[in-house]
Amino acid sequence: MLSDKNYISLEEIVGKEQVSASKEDLLCYSYDATNTTYLPDAVIFPANALEVSRIVELANLRGFSIIARGAGSGFTGGSLAVSGGVVLSTERMKRVIKIDEENLTATVEPGVITWEFQQDVEALGLFYPPDPTSKKISTIGGNIAECAGGPRAVKYGVTRDYVLGLEVVLPTGEIIKTGTSTMKGVVGYDLTRLMVGSEGTLGIVTGATLRLIPKPESVVTMLAFFPGISEAAAAVADIVAARIMPSTLELIDSFSIKCIEEYDPVRFAGVGALLIVEVDGRPESVKIEAELVNGVCKAAGATNIETATDKRAVKNLWKARRSISPALFKLKPNKINEDVVVPRSKIIELMTGLESIGKERGLIIACFGHAGDGNIHMNIMYDRNDDAEAARASEAVKEAFELTLSLGGTISGEHGVGTTKAEYLEMEIGSVEVALMRRLKECFDPKGIMNPGKIFSNKSAVRVT
Amino acid sequence: MKDLKSFLSEIDKCVKCGTCRSICPTTRVLGRESACARGKLTLIRAYIEGELEMSDDYTRHVKECAMCGGCRDVCPAGVKTTDVYLAARADLVKVNGLSFLERMVFKNLDSTRLMPSVLRLGARFKGLLFKAASPAEAGTASAIETDTGLISRFSLPLVGGGRLMPTVAKRFFLDLKEVRRLGKRPKKASSNTSETASVKVAFFAGCGVNYLMPHVGTASLKCIERTGAAVSVPKGQVCCGMPAFYTGDVETAERLARKNIEVFEEYGYDFVATSCATCSHGLKTVFKKLFENDDEMRDRAEAFSAKVRDITELLARDLKPVKTVEGISPTAPESGGKEAVKQISVTYHDPCHLNRNQGIKAEPRALLEDAEGVDFKNMKFACSCCGLGGGLSMTNYDLSIAITKRKADGAIASGADVIATACPGCIVQLRDAMQRYGVDKKVVHVVELL
Repeated sequence: MLSDKNYISLEEIVGKEQVSASKEDLLCYSYDATNTTYLPDAVIFPANALEVSRIVELANLRGFSIIARGAGSGFTGGSLAVSGGVVLSTERMKRVIKIDEENLTATVEPGVITWEFQQDVEALGLFYPPDPTSKKISTIGGNIAECAGGPRAVKYGVTRDYVLGLEVVLPTGEIIKTGTSTMKGVVGYDLTRLMVGSEGTLGIVTGATLRLIPKPESVVTMLAFFPGISEAAAAVADIVAARIMPSTLELIDSFSIKCIEEYDPVRFAGVGALLIVEVDGRPESVKIEAELVNGVCKAAGATNIETATDKRAVKNLWKARRSISPALFKLKPNKINEDVVVPRSKIIELMTGLESIGKERGLIIACFGHAGDGNIHMNIMYDRNDDAEAARASEAVKEAFELTLSLGGTISGEHGVGTTKAEYLEMEIGSVEVALMRRLKECFDPKGIMNPGKIFSNKSAVRVT
Repeated sequence: MKDLKSFLSEIDKCVKCGTCRSICPTTRVLGRESACARGKLTLIRAYIEGELEMSDDYTRHVKECAMCGGCRDVCPAGVKTTDVYLAARADLVKVNGLSFLERMVFKNLDSTRLMPSVLRLGARFKGLLFKAASPAEAGTASAIETDTGLISRFSLPLVGGGRLMPTVAKRFFLDLKEVRRLGKRPKKASSNTSETASVKVAFFAGCGVNYLMPHVGTASLKCIERTGAAVSVPKGQVCCGMPAFYTGDVETAERLARKNIEVFEEYGYDFVATSCATCSHGLKTVFKKLFENDDEMRDRAEAFSAKVRDITELLARDLKPVKTVEGISPTAPESGGKEAVKQISVTYHDPCHLNRNQGIKAEPRALLEDAEGVDFKNMKFACSCCGLGGGLSMTNYDLSIAITKRKADGAIASGADVIATACPGCIVQLRDAMQRYGVDKKVVHVVELL
């Protein structure tokens, strides 16, 4: 519970209108895309870094926790107030401060919506590649906190590859600057990289200087139909091995196709697996690469390969692709959504391994995702109210993680650890490394007020519903 | 209409992915989770479960919505958000009743005498509260004739300061001599003039056309007549009831629907046409819903609804313009001494009730593209909501007009001189926004350009 005294102090910082403890507001800031609910004690809407700094300073002094939140589209509970505290929404900090066309950089506030920012820079012939599937709602601040990826990561990398410098409010309230606004910079430790992907546990990003690149002149989108998942997975590995660099290489399995059939019932019905492949660049090279992709897919067993010609078809295809994750609930009421990554040559082993785990345990494991960079979104579908099935699902997660790690992979490519993966952290990270990470956390946040209960498993977290 | 509680399973389909945030016009303005569907559904669920009372905040959040249906359209889980909101609004009315003004208005919407008298009276004393907008203020600097409207002198309840209000027409559409003539009930099918015509269209005016924009009504009639179809304007028709329905006053909506169905049943028609997107949506899709539990009325509503067409749909799909049938080509600019056809650059705003609720998007554009003297170009944000709907312009004008800012931006970016749309409600709102945001563009109904 937040004391009246603390509430009044918060009001003094941001004004009465920008902080709330009404039941209505608490409910609205109690969830994220994990569809779990934890009521915070208050919600606050600061306008700038200075206000964030004063809020955090107060929290550190008085000992209540702060949980930063962008759009609440995270999949690992990063913005959930698992043990109460104040949710700090960046919804008001949404200005694009500067797009520097000479140096190809941009400075933005954390609440800027990724897709809208991309529209802004693309209008100038520039490109900000990171494109998490939730890009139409997700914020740059949230993307930085989770180091979001997306389909384009296969060619362009993830959020961390585009962050040059940050303005961060530390858990003790100081406003710091990390990194540079230059392309290079090696002075001191790389605090920028430490912050990116720290899931709001080491500080709150209040500003970011991002790297932009020229917008690719042309894009060709191809859709390849495969009889089964192993043929499609083989095609992925073959494309990489053939030294082709697609800008997108997305795999969709038959369970996932079933959920989005309505987008194109004629063509999607009964398909074993799909690959969405995009190549971009100059028109001449795009043409050559598209032909190469075509050849590799055919050799791997594709029954049909279509090249999308009009914009609307491409848009519809991506809309379908973006809808898979939420649409999976048509299969079962609950899902465990994990985003494992393996070396790309091991994609086939991962896919067939997951298939047999599902079969053995009598579970649907729907897989789709950014296969081009080895990142597969595996969704173990179950019914929360069926205890036996829920238990089998949780065993399957562990087994899938073991499989992933045995193939030389990682248990999370772009969603983060948050609360959902905290208990598995030590499956991947050694005890010495975890201890070092915990010391880092303590060094930044001695009182543990910033986004508690995330990354490192915290037994005190109690789920409300 | 179904009880709010029965929507619990619909609400539970929401998986909290947040996709609704991407399209919601109120979320864009307010920047709060309570504005988007994910938040609203959470609140409505908590209210149903008894976790939340019908507090002022709850009521405000339920009403903070233009009912554009964007969230419903983008929801990957397929939650019928607007149905849930409507049930929540109806529940608000059931518990709290209507406001005094809402009661006054809605209870009299079916009177063919009282409403017009009140509006006429209002028109006489309007000068006390409003001043006439200059042509520049109303964005009517050139060619097309539009009424300029009124600007409120003070901040008025339900109106707000500096708001451009539409002028109440000197003569209402349904009172016009030429319109009354079309209201004659067919005596017997055989002795009617329309017997010779292949297609019979019954025209539904709606309040916007009747009280504010009779010229849109007469332009619509001309467009229909030009195709060779026979038009009637059934006498005794009343408001479509959608303002009441969207406020949650289902009882009034039912009463008005029943009355309209009865009136139209006396006329023979192949189509019922209207020039208001909200009316056509209501007549076509809501009437049936209103009589879900009344088999007899539902059948009659379904028979009626099956014939309803929006004017743009009717003209682009169902009726063929006579001029092309007869091969009369438009006067070419270079032929003869006639003045060259002046090209006006026109863009189009999609009314949500037409685009989202009826899927009519291509038809008005096709009409504009074919229209003589019109240089059509699409605008950015064409299908984003104008902000008027769902009673929002009455209950929260500041939010409503803030939403319209995006339309003003889109209109500027389009470079067009004229914004055409297919809904009197949108026209009122867009004109107000153009005045408020200083954009010199005219706003007209598509039929005015045909």
